[in-house]
Amino acid sequence: MPYHLFKCSECIPEREKHAVIKGKGEDISMALPLGYLNTIPGTISERGCAYCGAKHVIGTPMKDVIHLSHGPVGCTYDTWQTKRYISDNDNFQLKYTFASDMKEKHIVFGAEQLLKKNILDAFAAFPNIKRMTIYQTCASALIGDDINALADEIMEENPDVDIFVCNSPGFGGPSQSGGHHKINIAWINQKVGTVDPKIDADYVINYVGEYNIQGDQEVMMDYFKRMGIYVLSTFTGNGSYDDLRAMHKAHLNVLECARSAEYICNELRVRYGIPRMDIDGFGFEPLSASLRKISLFFGIEERALAIIDTETARWKPELDWYKARLMHKKVCLWPGGSKLWHWANAIHEEMGVDVVSVYTKFGHQGDMEKGISRCEEGALAIDDPNELEGLEAMETLQPDIIFTGKRPGEVAKKIRVPYLNAHAYHNGPWKGFEGWVRFARDIYNGIYSPIHQLSLLDISKDEIPTDQGFVTNRMLSDANLSEEVRNDPNLHPYTGNYDNVSHLRNKKYPEFPRAEKDTSVA
Amino acid sequence: MNDEIKSNAEELVNYIMKKCLWQFHSRTWDRKRQNEHILDMTARMIYGEEIKPTTPEEKCYWADAMCLMEAFNNHFGWLQKMDRAKKEAVMTALKDRIDFLTVTGSLNLELTDTHY
Repeated sequence: MPYHLFKCSECIPEREKHAVIKGKGEDISMALPLGYLNTIPGTISERGCAYCGAKHVIGTPMKDVIHLSHGPVGCTYDTWQTKRYISDNDNFQLKYTFASDMKEKHIVFGAEQLLKKNILDAFAAFPNIKRMTIYQTCASALIGDDINALADEIMEENPDVDIFVCNSPGFGGPSQSGGHHKINIAWINQKVGTVDPKIDADYVINYVGEYNIQGDQEVMMDYFKRMGIYVLSTFTGNGSYDDLRAMHKAHLNVLECARSAEYICNELRVRYGIPRMDIDGFGFEPLSASLRKISLFFGIEERALAIIDTETARWKPELDWYKARLMHKKVCLWPGGSKLWHWANAIHEEMGVDVVSVYTKFGHQGDMEKGISRCEEGALAIDDPNELEGLEAMETLQPDIIFTGKRPGEVAKKIRVPYLNAHAYHNGPWKGFEGWVRFARDIYNGIYSPIHQLSLLDISKDEIPTDQGFVTNRMLSDANLSEEVRNDPNLHPYTGNYDNVSHLRNKKYPEFPRAEKDTSVA
Repeated sequence: MNDEIKSNAEELVNYIMKKCLWQFHSRTWDRKRQNEHILDMTARMIYGEEIKPTTPEEKCYWADAMCLMEAFNNHFGWLQKMDRAKKEAVMTALKDRIDFLTVTGSLNLELTDTHY
């Protein structure tokens, strides 16, 4: 498995160890990109900082909390409302963002009193919210403000509030992944075990590494509720602060995004004896296996099988309609961390696309081990790519579409490669059986968009055809399909609703009789 | 190990590496523990033994092992047709290869980090 040095990076030879091509018959013991290292000077990384990873990825999806950044307003403002981790409490955590607004004078004279005033003002402005997270930034870390001491002081003065402090300044790691790590460890050290919940359920899980992007968590909650499983906490999408303080009382940690949240699962296993079960919520087969595994753990297999059968029968014909039209389309799978391995095999097998490249902005070597194992031969795997490498890869590989973040995505559009937002989705949620069909629909619409086809023409040099009318995406996608596939009565495009999440919030679920007390699990 | 056993084991290895996540826990000691328990339970079920896990930890291994055993039986019909000795040879080769790919031969520099 040869390492690969991009032409554009020949002046940065250290980059060679960050990319490999998966050759025929080769495996991850032969070559593995370096990962989770400081970005090499001279290469313009697409990464985020450790503050961003702690606050914007993991902290802020908690829904019933005032999230306050202790630093310049730009740290918070720059990512305000660009995330799509919705919540069922009217998106409080998305609508309101807080910063102490440090300025130059605070760097000189300190900002603890400024922070205290901000904390009290924020609680006064939202009297129904009694929980707060405070995030250190580069500026407040460098001047040494003691945020923990201040939080303790305020909690003593106001016993009805609880405050969590996350000391993960932007420079505190090579990428946002450093922040994931810090907030995981900070949360279990400071908060887990500080609430003892009353649990009236037989089967209790923490759903970990799930951020409710466009409703992913709510879709999965629907399955868990239909199985009679009580989700004590979600770390952290649509999750409640106090529920997360009670994580130590679950029977099982169900881990979705191991990249961002395996640390807390590992610690919960060591400190409290709660096992860690890694699952895949994306793709019919991986999701089915995941639901089944969870049900086996609790001895309620028939409940999972009923869901799998119902959902597969409902949505598989729609997935297969898209699969027929996406067969062998070339994909660059360029997400941040975990989705390269969540999706690499599932989109190939269930949607028919060929993954020609995987990359990760902030993943570790463990993510590359999973991603390279799951993609097919010939794929180019890249760690922490820069913009020029991305462009070179697209020019070489000629993908039909890429799945990535909005910054590299806009670069791709400039060279006429359509992209889907792998972090926040286009028309998600993409988790769950229906969600997987929505993902396929977004891929289909991206590749076969008539507007995209028009963009391939350059009016400064190409001849513009004037003898043909406007085409539809169906005309484009079906042009080379056989009559049999095109008119297959069993297959059809997506028939779900525009919003497939809101109705779940008022859904009634079956009540299962309590099982005999099983002391081996509780 | 003969070529047939090696080739059979490689098919199972490929399935695990494409479909499973349990073999990629964070650290060397976790990966060894996962491989040992899950592959041991899978092998015993393939040999026809019944496993009754009692602790939460054992149930977690067993759930992964059950899914793997069923997948092996569904996707690799040749496995069920083998006699016990051959099954044991294949499952031993599988364990050795998974240990190599994820632990002893892994190039992942974080595996020996003493902290999570």
